[in-house]
Amino acid sequence: MTNCSLALLTIALMCAPAALRAQDARLDARLDAHTRDAVVALIDSAHAEGIPSEPLVQKALEGASKHADGPRILTAVRMLAGELGEARAALGPSSTDAEVIAGASALHAGIAPAALSRMRASRAHGSLTVALAVLSDLIARGVPGDTATTVISALTGAGAADAELLRFQQGVERDIAQGATPSAALGVRAQSAFPIAPRRTP
Amino acid sequence: MRQHDEFDAMEQGDDVLERAAGELRRPLRVNAALFDARVMDEVLRSPSGLRARMASLTQPRTFRVSPLVALAAGLLFAVSVAGSVLYVLPASPESAPRTAARAAAGSPIVQFGFVAPHASSVALVGDFNNWDPKATPLRAASTGGVWSVEIPVRPGRHLYAFVVDGTIWRPDPAAPKATGEDFGEPNSALTVADPGMR
Repeated sequence: MTNCSLALLTIALMCAPAALRAQDARLDARLDAHTRDAVVALIDSAHAEGIPSEPLVQKALEGASKHADGPRILTAVRMLAGELGEARAALGPSSTDAEVIAGASALHAGIAPAALSRMRASRAHGSLTVALAVLSDLIARGVPGDTATTVISALTGAGAADAELLRFQQGVERDIAQGATPSAALGVRAQSAFPIAPRRTP
Repeated sequence: MRQHDEFDAMEQGDDVLERAAGELRRPLRVNAALFDARVMDEVLRSPSGLRARMASLTQPRTFRVSPLVALAAGLLFAVSVAGSVLYVLPASPESAPRTAARAAAGSPIVQFGFVAPHASSVALVGDFNNWDPKATPLRAASTGGVWSVEIPVRPGRHLYAFVVDGTIWRPDPAAPKATGEDFGEPNSALTVADPGMR
């Protein structure tokens, strides 16, 4: 090991506890002691399981800013930790934190874990973050979950880029805003998208 | 014959014009005492001080503008209205808030906008600023009640909302509503694509 590597390792070891202390400081300032301790315990447990901890900190801070009481904050953090864990399991251990966060959102929207796994399989090497976020947003707009999953999975599998997925979502939202039913809007946009997206398939 | 009739008509027209010009050239007789009394009466009836300034603001006025100026004003109005509409509608692949091309340390700059004509303050809160209402205040445009701010946001999916006048939480009406526990105050969802990813 070179001197440079040793120096980098030392810096990394010094920075890691500092980051944790910073998280604690944020919670210290915004939560009562009892809630803070319970939240920190949950976060530590989640961190040990490889679950990203920052979304949990943010959920607790959101609850504090919205003047939610301690038990409600704790329930929300616990529920999110469960969804993040489920998303990580469905997407695989190599998934990024951003993918896990977007996956948890999709699970909360009603997508089955098996559907997340299928999407992972359809895009093994690229990021699924945007695809999962688009899926969640379409469901939030009223598109049936199974239909949205089928269409987004097909687009992802056909090699649609993130920008294309976001444009697709915008198109569906625009059609809904102009009076189309969510299902019809998705169907029409899917018909126009599919002739384009497969060109990327090798 | 026809030329003769036209000549007569022209002469008659000249007579009318000459009589009208004569009337206009005739000196105007004004009763000085009566004139002064009427002027003073109008002065006394007109508001003064603050009343005068308020009256000048509230009373309708008639403006005369050239067609060119009117056309320019109309174009300016149309451009400003179009700009406002584009501002609040999704204008980029990054959900409702607009993402500028430039990036700060891998985080694209995202522009957030909110229309609140009667607000005294608007703040952006989200999972990118610890949900702190004091962290990211929006700036008000000079007119129109449009508030905006540009900040770097890491790629990924984010939740956010606006806090109006320090207490009123509002989701972004132009963005998708977020799912999940929101503690009774709905959030909006923002997806920021990683510029480095396809």
